[in-house]
Amino acid sequence: MENVRILNRIVEINVASVKYADIELSGNTCFVGTNNFGKTSLQRAILFFYSANSRGLGISASQKPFEEHYFRYENSYLIYEIKTEDKPFFVIVYRHNKLVFRFVDAEYNPDYFFNEQDEALKIKEIIQGLEKRGIYISNQIDTFERYRNIIYGTETDKLLSKFHLLKGNEKYQNIPKSITNVFLSSKSSIDSRFIKDFIANSLSTENSSIKLEQVERQLRQFNEKYTDIETFLKKESQQLMEFIDKKYDQVHMLKGAQMEMADKLGSSLRYAETQNDTIFKASKQKEEELEKLGEDHETHKDQLEEKQKDIREEIGYYDRTIREANKKLKEYKEKNIEQAVEKNAEREKLQVELNIARREYESLTSNVQSIEMKYSSLIDQLRNDKTAYINKINSRTSDIFNHYNELQLLQKNEFNKKDAELKQKREDALSETNAEITAKQIEFNELKSEEKVIRNTRFYENEIKAHEMELAELRAVSYKNKSERAIKQNMVQTLQKEWEALELKLKTSLQNQIQKTNNEIIRVKTEIRQIEDKLNVQHDALYGYLEKNVKDWHTTIGKVVNEELLFRTDLEPSLTDSKDVSLYGIKLKLDDVSVVSKSIEVYQFEKNERLAAIRDLEEAMNQFQVTNNEEKMLAADKYGKQLGELKEEVKVLAYSLELADKREKKLIAELEDWKARASKEVEESLSGNRQRLNIIEEELAILNKKKNNLLDDFHLQFEKLRVFNEERLADLKSRQETEISELEVEKKNQVKEFEQKEAELSAEKESNFKSKGVDSKQIKQIDNRIKELQEALKEIEQYSQIVSDYLKDKREIFDKLPDLIQKKDEYVRSANDLSNQLEEATRKYNLKRMELNKQKRAFDEELIEFNNGINYFTKNFRETPVYNKYAEIIERAEPKKTNYSVMDLCTQLLKNDSHFNEEYGAFQRYVNEFAGKFRLDNHFNFMIRHDATQAEYERFAQNLRSFINEHKIELSIAETATQIGLVTDSIATKVKELSNQQDKIQHIISLIAEDFKKAEFEESKLIEFIKIKLEESDNKVYKLLKRIEEFREENGLVYNEGLFNTDFATGTKSREISNRAVKLLEQLRSAIKEQEQEEIRLQDLFELKFNIKEGMNETGWTHKIDSIGSTGTDILVKAIIYITLLHVFIKESSHRSSKDFKVHCIIDEVGQISAHYLRELLRFAKNRNIMMINGLPNKSGLESHYKYTYQFRREDNGNVRIFPSIVTEVQA
Amino acid sequence: MEENSFNLPKQTHDIFAVMARGNFISSNGTKDNMGRLYDIINNPENFDRLQAYFNVIRYNIERGNNYFYFSKLNEPNSELEKKLERFEKYIDIIDLFASMDNKITIGTRFRPSEIAEECNANVRLKQKLQKIPLYRSETLHNKVREICDLMSRDSFLEMEDEQTESYKVLDSYTYLLDVINSIAIYEETGNGEETQGIIYN
Repeated sequence: MENVRILNRIVEINVASVKYADIELSGNTCFVGTNNFGKTSLQRAILFFYSANSRGLGISASQKPFEEHYFRYENSYLIYEIKTEDKPFFVIVYRHNKLVFRFVDAEYNPDYFFNEQDEALKIKEIIQGLEKRGIYISNQIDTFERYRNIIYGTETDKLLSKFHLLKGNEKYQNIPKSITNVFLSSKSSIDSRFIKDFIANSLSTENSSIKLEQVERQLRQFNEKYTDIETFLKKESQQLMEFIDKKYDQVHMLKGAQMEMADKLGSSLRYAETQNDTIFKASKQKEEELEKLGEDHETHKDQLEEKQKDIREEIGYYDRTIREANKKLKEYKEKNIEQAVEKNAEREKLQVELNIARREYESLTSNVQSIEMKYSSLIDQLRNDKTAYINKINSRTSDIFNHYNELQLLQKNEFNKKDAELKQKREDALSETNAEITAKQIEFNELKSEEKVIRNTRFYENEIKAHEMELAELRAVSYKNKSERAIKQNMVQTLQKEWEALELKLKTSLQNQIQKTNNEIIRVKTEIRQIEDKLNVQHDALYGYLEKNVKDWHTTIGKVVNEELLFRTDLEPSLTDSKDVSLYGIKLKLDDVSVVSKSIEVYQFEKNERLAAIRDLEEAMNQFQVTNNEEKMLAADKYGKQLGELKEEVKVLAYSLELADKREKKLIAELEDWKARASKEVEESLSGNRQRLNIIEEELAILNKKKNNLLDDFHLQFEKLRVFNEERLADLKSRQETEISELEVEKKNQVKEFEQKEAELSAEKESNFKSKGVDSKQIKQIDNRIKELQEALKEIEQYSQIVSDYLKDKREIFDKLPDLIQKKDEYVRSANDLSNQLEEATRKYNLKRMELNKQKRAFDEELIEFNNGINYFTKNFRETPVYNKYAEIIERAEPKKTNYSVMDLCTQLLKNDSHFNEEYGAFQRYVNEFAGKFRLDNHFNFMIRHDATQAEYERFAQNLRSFINEHKIELSIAETATQIGLVTDSIATKVKELSNQQDKIQHIISLIAEDFKKAEFEESKLIEFIKIKLEESDNKVYKLLKRIEEFREENGLVYNEGLFNTDFATGTKSREISNRAVKLLEQLRSAIKEQEQEEIRLQDLFELKFNIKEGMNETGWTHKIDSIGSTGTDILVKAIIYITLLHVFIKESSHRSSKDFKVHCIIDEVGQISAHYLRELLRFAKNRNIMMINGLPNKSGLESHYKYTYQFRREDNGNVRIFPSIVTEVQA
Repeated sequence: MEENSFNLPKQTHDIFAVMARGNFISSNGTKDNMGRLYDIINNPENFDRLQAYFNVIRYNIERGNNYFYFSKLNEPNSELEKKLERFEKYIDIIDLFASMDNKITIGTRFRPSEIAEECNANVRLKQKLQKIPLYRSETLHNKVREICDLMSRDSFLEMEDEQTESYKVLDSYTYLLDVINSIAIYEETGNGEETQGIIYN
């Protein structure tokens, strides 16, 4: 009996339809039974021993699960007995909720499981029984994994470690997998795909596949984001964004203006409604005030005019008096009144002198008194006669004089009368004309003052003031806003710089890290390459030779040989006879010498360690990149938000400045308009005034002309009267003078006669005196003197009357003349004052009247405007959609006076609304077109519904603006760039992980090929050779995945700074790399879609080709061999391949030291194979320490080649009985 | 002439397949990689090559605002007349679309049910929809659906989501608007014969 470990027996107790079966398996075993008798179930139970995976037994989904089908009862047991080098042990499998295992350190004995009534015991009872017997029974093993660890010798628990079938290495999982795969593959054709699957499944773990759905999802997500960004960055999209931004501003502004206008309209309406009565009353009040003002002015004017009239009369009086006085004075002057007055002053003196002369004469003539007396009486008589005559003549002269004087006086009176009449007439005519002129002049003056008032009046003062104030306020606000904008722009620049600096820092640190990591990776890769080089050459080097030929060489040669030497291939090592442990004949004690050489595993381990280091480095790099990106995003979030807000504020400020600018322009225009209207109003008022002034001026000119004509006419009449008067007076005077001169001549002649007679008498007297001795000479002198004096007195007497008149006039008139002039002047002044007063009063009145009129007119106009506005609003606005749009604002507005009329506001609102609608339509179109460029579910969420409201459209624009301001596209690009990095990285990692298995495949294939070579087909000669070779995969998806991995290898970690990099100066290379990456990913996506494959497994990494020669038939290198020869041949070839595979895997997966074990190869249907082939097959297996378990449908003689044959029979109660068939084994 | 001598983009066949059917390639189209095809034609180098290539087979690429289409060189008048006849029904459709509260413009996304609902609520629109010829559908919804089908077939619309039956208006819609805008309506009363009609400029 061989001392090998093998599954010796399987016992079924209450398992499926089998009550009890005890099947020995220590040699080739065959189950004979028709279908559905439980052959496969038993084979599965055997397989379960190896695989301990209830789900990998080939039970279809429609069938009951393994647990339920096999372990129906609480006392259902599967017992596996394992033979070892010394004593056997067994494993109990039972169901305790789930399947659990217990190892028992004893040979199987049915007594442990059945009571005396042959009833299967419960597990507790079994345990108790075993314990009673002092047999070691392990604790319950709950997991399949742990069970496998124990069976395949990797359990570390010392109590359990002895219960192993074989000592597997870290790859021991391949053994159960391989056994399972052989069992599960039932196809009769030999397809390389199956072998591939077999190898791959044996090698791969659950994770060693690339789930394409996941990759496709990642790719789709990336692609969608990429497409979104690409769409966003397109010129057309950028243009549309600009349009949207602009239009949004316009629309916003228009809407704002409309709302403002609606508010104004509401305010105006409310104001009109509330102010209607008030304004009506105010207008009435103004009317009354006007009337009262007119009355007051008239009264005051009358009073002043009355006073003026009185003063004018006074002035007329004084004027006349002064004129007359002056005239008299002139007349007196013409009469040499001054001389007369002078002479008159000498009169007294002359009278005294005369009296003296007379007395002197009398004293001289006293001696000749008688004579004297005689002569004196005669002379006196004569003189008296003469005097009487003179007197008579004088009286006649005087009469004539008086008569003519009287006539002259009469004439003068007549003249004066006529003159006065004429003057009166003239005065009347003049006063009439003057009154007319004055009236006109007054009117003229009024108009002039009115013009002055108009010129001084500021029309639309309130409006102009309001505009000016608004302008001033607006300018102040604009100034403030401008400085605020400048500050904010500065802040934007500062923040931008800070952001850029931070970005640069992050970028530099990322680049440094990339550089550092790449350098490190290159270094580790170099080391890996060195290790790989060693591993690759080890077969042909001294190392490989030692491995193959020298046991435990590491502890001997490995301590003394140089590592480099170990991997030299030119040493041609060969064994010598000397088995001594010596170095060129010198025995060395090497116990304390450390081993220099390393085992392949160590190299592999070191390689793996380095690969892990690379992964760690990449992981760290990825982490760094993620952190870097996060920092970038945080910065973008922080700065972007701040910048966005600031930019928004700047934009708002710019917008408000723009608005203010527009408003300012508008206000300036309005102000100019108001000013123009004011000046127009002035001009209009003035032009009316001027017309009137011109008419009055003309009328005044006509009146003045008329007055002048009148004056000329009267002057002519006066002249005529004067000439007639003077002529008449001259005539009278000349007649007076003629008559007087005639009388004077007569008187002269008569006087001459008297004087002659007197002379004669005087001569006689003289002669008498002489005769009597009297000095007549002296007397004569005295007498002459007396005569002279008398003559002088007489002359004086002549002017006495006029002097007396003069003196009287002087006293009464002339001396008072200055007073009169002064008084007249005073009156003139008073008159002027009064005129001024009147003028001032009239001016004031006019001003006030105009002001009141204006106010009243304004009220009236306002009232009309209000009513018109309300009517217009009701008739033409209320029913329009524009009203409905702004109804809330209009109805909620506070009553307030505005500068605009309701009608204007309504019209403007309607007009603006149509403009707004146009602009809004364009805005909507742009938004739709822009949103339409993106996918329906784009990651920017640029989406607008067809029935979106205005608010939604506006929100869209606002979000878009924030998106732009906050540079969200850059975040998105960064995310997408990271994503492409992560996707390529993840693909590369997965491909690498998977590709790493390729070496194993290569290794396995080479082992298989070698094993095929070793196979001894010579005996049968039927199969000349089976060759196998590995080729590159033609899986399109895998190829692309591989290309991505290579791309990743070639370019290191792809951080895709070049993704969407438009900086042509710096970004060309990185952009090229990115473009290539994007293209590759896109191709992969299409390929995945096209290929409709769920995952890329290990078997997709390579192609297997066979070349089999059976007899004369050679298949040539092919993937699939449908038929090599007969079915039997096919089954044989298939089985040979399976056994080879199993052998290879077992060899690979078990510990080198563990060689003494056998496993089973379960192949169900081998019925069609010939006995000869079967024998060949069994021998082939046996040579590889593999026992066959096969199924046969019926007894055919083939069973004779097996050590154990069991038959299956279904009993009446439905139970299946398995019993050994008695056959003699024909030794294979 | 060899295709390769033109140095054509590899999507030339796809481009031809779309445009030779009389369809448009719009920049905002997503199905069948339409956006990508647009970008390829829009590339000046490609455009010249494609134009030269297609001219050989008597096709001319016409460029619209964000869309391309084929016109045939020396097309017979009878063919043109047929085209005009086919176009007539679009006049009513565009009229309907332009009369909606939310006008249907380039990039608009809508569902036929939305249009039908709006038509149902608005007598004027309802009449417009009902008078559109060539359709026999009884309900408004089906009628709008048929319109959308027609327009999708003619590549003016694109169904974006079959589940929600959501359509998107493509850039080629501008073509319809341009044609309609170039129609001059004239009324002639002279020569005793009264004629009314439309002129396509």
